[in-house]
Amino acid sequence: MGDKQSHIFDTVKNYYNNYGLRAKELKGEGKQFIGYVCSLVPLEIITASGCTPFRVRGSVHEPITRGDTLLETIVCPYYRSVFDLSVKGKYNFLSGLVIPHGCDSMVRSFSAWSYGLPFSYFHFVNIPSVCDESSLEFFDAELDAFRKSLEKFTGKAITEEHLRQAIRVHNENRDKVRALYEMRKADPPLISGTELTMTLTAGSSLPIEESNGLFDQILTEVKGRGKSPLKKGPRIFIDGACLDNIELIKLVEELGGNVVADTICNGARDHFPKTEMGGDPISALSRRYLGKINCPKTYRENKAGTFEGDIASRFGDIGAYTKEYKVEGAILYVYKYCDPFGFEVPARKAYYQSLNIPLLPLEDVYSSGTIGQLRTRVQAFLEMIG
Amino acid sequence: MAEEQKEAKPKKRMTATKAAASIGPMVKEFITGTLQAKAEGKYKVAYTFIVCHHEEIFRALDVIPVWTENFAGICGAKRDAERFLQRAESLGFSRSLCTYALCGIGFDQWREELGQMPPEAPWGGQVRPDFMISSGQILCDPRSKWYQASQQFMPDVPIYNIDLPYPLFQENRDHREVLGYYHQYIVKQLRGLVAFLEEQTKKKMDYDRLRELVNLSDRTWNLIDETYKLRRAAPCPMGTGDAMNTMVPINFMMATQKAYDFFVDLKKELEEKIARGEGEVENEKYRLMWGGGLPAWYALNDFNYFNSKGASFPVETTYRMVAPLNEMDLPETKDPIEHLAWRWLGYWTFWYDKAKKRPGSEPDVERLINWIEEYKIDGVVMHEAFSCRTWHVGLIWQLHQLAKIYKPIPVYMIGKGGQKEKVYRELPSLILESDIIDITSYSEVDTRNKIDAFVETLESIQSNRAT
Repeated sequence: MGDKQSHIFDTVKNYYNNYGLRAKELKGEGKQFIGYVCSLVPLEIITASGCTPFRVRGSVHEPITRGDTLLETIVCPYYRSVFDLSVKGKYNFLSGLVIPHGCDSMVRSFSAWSYGLPFSYFHFVNIPSVCDESSLEFFDAELDAFRKSLEKFTGKAITEEHLRQAIRVHNENRDKVRALYEMRKADPPLISGTELTMTLTAGSSLPIEESNGLFDQILTEVKGRGKSPLKKGPRIFIDGACLDNIELIKLVEELGGNVVADTICNGARDHFPKTEMGGDPISALSRRYLGKINCPKTYRENKAGTFEGDIASRFGDIGAYTKEYKVEGAILYVYKYCDPFGFEVPARKAYYQSLNIPLLPLEDVYSSGTIGQLRTRVQAFLEMIG
Repeated sequence: MAEEQKEAKPKKRMTATKAAASIGPMVKEFITGTLQAKAEGKYKVAYTFIVCHHEEIFRALDVIPVWTENFAGICGAKRDAERFLQRAESLGFSRSLCTYALCGIGFDQWREELGQMPPEAPWGGQVRPDFMISSGQILCDPRSKWYQASQQFMPDVPIYNIDLPYPLFQENRDHREVLGYYHQYIVKQLRGLVAFLEEQTKKKMDYDRLRELVNLSDRTWNLIDETYKLRRAAPCPMGTGDAMNTMVPINFMMATQKAYDFFVDLKKELEEKIARGEGEVENEKYRLMWGGGLPAWYALNDFNYFNSKGASFPVETTYRMVAPLNEMDLPETKDPIEHLAWRWLGYWTFWYDKAKKRPGSEPDVERLINWIEEYKIDGVVMHEAFSCRTWHVGLIWQLHQLAKIYKPIPVYMIGKGGQKEKVYRELPSLILESDIIDITSYSEVDTRNKIDAFVETLESIQSNRAT
């Protein structure tokens, strides 16, 4: 790593390790940050309101303590950790929080959040469970209600132009992430999975323009690299929900794997789908967030009439990514107590089998305490496919 | 594949009412009825879920609903779920997921593999459906995932998934602002269901018949409300143990004359018991509320254990899936589908206005507070079933909010005469932990030790009050 390169990655590392650092600085300058949980919150509407969306994350290193006095331990450990850090005051610099209907735990705990945290703004976005014309119409209205609630909070109108501008700048962000993913196509990849996850996580704590700037700098640095930071190894795909801590990916790479693509929420699921420009911006957003974000929470009709056809349709993005990034093995990483993903494990296994891609399914509890167990399993898997 | 080992048959729970005692045979008849209907081929049978306000649509088109949660509950109550749960696990499903769904999927996969019912299937087993109606509600993720997972073994059985959201309570928002578009959406979803069922059954919806069935359900709703309110009497004539039986006509038989007649009989029975001064327990010492959580179906005897300590349960939040329609102010409409959508929204937002009037309250908490007062409750019992987030996440927080109101110290209130009165509003609570049907999560000794300690607390509070 050259000096300049290490400098920009040091910045990323700093934002990653001191998560919320920049938000705290900007709050001092009068900027308002609105926290969000899950990929289904339309960030563009927050940006259009003049506030900054801030992805609230958990920590695998911090034991869950106070959170468990208010929220059941049968909630997925990732969400419990996010809640725990929040009630401990880690995100008290936020002005508000938006929770979508991403899963039962988000719905059922909304009151625990909204009554227990010191934010002046809370909003729940109801996401339809199906994707058809009537649900898109409903979602348009729901997003419009979200827009109005933010207008009430900020005291400023959110115009169509504000929304279009926000859509444009968020789409730019997604283009930059795509460009970063392009760097993973080299063998070995020019950017490691650890570096990329750290970068995207850091980016989700910054104003979108700063995030764009950061990604540009990373792109320049990575493009200028003479060689990969990784040794050539099995090209691994990570499939699952939100993985906002680098530990698993780092572990895979320490053991000789190259993490080259994913479907994770703070990876491809969040960043790949773009919002259509032109036309009604709210409607374009509802089509992106309901139609294009491939989350198991949304029921997709089996139009093929066969199981094979159904999984090819539901998980087609996995098939495309694994081909595009020349994947040699996949890890399906699912949190304990996660119903939306948990019920898909056998179907996903069958899909990987249909692709002839070896799969390591893992159920984990979002804690650094399980790294030892994971190490043994990942090592055996890499040896098997290597 | 692990299977075959069944748990010892549980001791039958004693019921307080004749009505509750009649439920077992009724459910058995219903299950065997679905098998017979399928064998005769006269009617279409469909897997589906309770609390979707769609029974009227089913029955108007002569579709027989197969309540898959019910069958899983039966397996649990008969202590015969483990072999199906293990089968689901062996397919790759985690035991941490909804065990109703796991039991159903395990059973279905086994039946499909064999081409016939698994050996000694409870009450003849669960019939193979003609189609499946799932629902993506605002809560219960497994409802839209379960049948999708089952399709791996039954790819030829189509699914129709209806979305039934309601506006979640938000302290700073009047839910009426958004009701319009929620209603429009639900109407469209229900009309989509009608179209799907018409296609499957090759019948046209008879809207006059549907209107009659909706009317029958509405009358049943009000009758249930009136009947259950009789349990305010002291001593309480019927407890939650019995209500875990009488939930059957509420949840599985709505829109039938049989359900209506059941509550006519139950109401009469309760009125007679009240007139005789006959309670669920002989010497009622404590009045408890089942404040949340689905029961451990294999351990319903625990209610008898509470009873043996002089504790009665006059009210429960679980499975009381009706509310008085005359208190809902539903918009008038002649269209039964529109009415179903309004009723759906009316039910879920029933406590919203009241909750807003009480600082710190919230609809689920408000319901607890109202019933604590109306039913003169001494303590709250909840059950945390590890595999179900739908009904169990949020219970700890609700108790936390309740504790802000019911403090373990005397508080001064303004009494009826405008005078200050010193009152003790302490309300102890107990959280039991196990599962709906996974018996491996249950320990009878631990559970009963917890109950003993709780009863001692109730006793000590009563002694302090007397002092």
